[in-house]
Amino acid sequence: MGRKLPEWLKVNYNKEAVDEVSHMMADLKLNTVCKEANCPNLGECYKKKTATFMILGSVCTRNCRFCNVSNGHATKVDPEEPMNLAQAVKKLNLTHVVITSVTRDDLPDGGAAHFAKTIEAVRNINPETTIEVLIPDLRGVHENLDIVINANPNVINHNVETVKYLYADVRPQADYERSLKVLQYIKEKAPHITSKTGIMVGLGETDEQVYEVMDDCLKVNCDIFTIGQYLRPSEQHIELKEYVTPEKFEEYKKVALEKGFKYVASGPLVRSSYKAGEATSIFK
Amino acid sequence: MKKIITMPKLSANMESGLLVALCKQAGDEIKKGDVLFEVETEKVVSEIESDENGRLVTLYYKEGDNVKVDEIIAEIEIV
Repeated sequence: MGRKLPEWLKVNYNKEAVDEVSHMMADLKLNTVCKEANCPNLGECYKKKTATFMILGSVCTRNCRFCNVSNGHATKVDPEEPMNLAQAVKKLNLTHVVITSVTRDDLPDGGAAHFAKTIEAVRNINPETTIEVLIPDLRGVHENLDIVINANPNVINHNVETVKYLYADVRPQADYERSLKVLQYIKEKAPHITSKTGIMVGLGETDEQVYEVMDDCLKVNCDIFTIGQYLRPSEQHIELKEYVTPEKFEEYKKVALEKGFKYVASGPLVRSSYKAGEATSIFK
Repeated sequence: MKKIITMPKLSANMESGLLVALCKQAGDEIKKGDVLFEVETEKVVSEIESDENGRLVTLYYKEGDNVKVDEIIAEIEIV
């Protein structure tokens, strides 16, 4: 059996560093999207003592076909989680933290209040740390979005994930227009908060469709755009159609910047939270 | 003192990995941080680093082998 992956999909893995961060997360009963989503950058990020926290449990109420996070009946929300997460941020001495969650369609507010409590807890004991939240669509309900906006994180990210034409196959329980409206509402309500979104490529989309997403996201004044390669977690997940070359990612980046995004991260291993602090530092 | 190097579990659902490159051979000096071998899994190729300084004593697999998680791949004499 020979290699099947392109040579640019290579990452570093240091077991000692991974074990250290993994044990700390387990001790504090915290989940990371790095582990749950089987992120290819886990080794690199854990080695740098950084991680993207995933709150509101590890079971998602939606079943997006690209995602490795388990779906099913969601678990009880842990009231200690905001403080435990804030302590982890302190222990890791993070200058920038990214907090995401599973989608909680079972909760009346979609988990918005828990996001707000977590932002507050992090800020209380880490006043210098910039806070980025990567939120689900919260069903597009303004009252839910207001709860997160009022907690005043530095960055609110909501990923559109893919081009409009692939939503039915990739995100059957989501809605492209609703995601755009979430981004629009965030910027209208809080222009000082950096807004961010991103897509995966390699699912069969065309360049024109990618550029259309960029245009749609710029129309709602989105600041940051990320593009990364879709990597299939298992044969049960949606099929990968193409490994997009690093050169094509550079081209996407160039076009996105020309179109007007303030910051663009585009590369095979780019994930929405990968090196997120670098992007945020330019908005300080 | 000898230390065994096993196939790491690189993701929760990983059962085995494809050994796509052996970067050190038996007898080679090894420094902490050196890449010992490369493992291909579903998503990426991972460069597996050494946590120790020492010398690689034995290799139990060859390039192209599919190795189960926790199987012993190599033995290192730690200095």
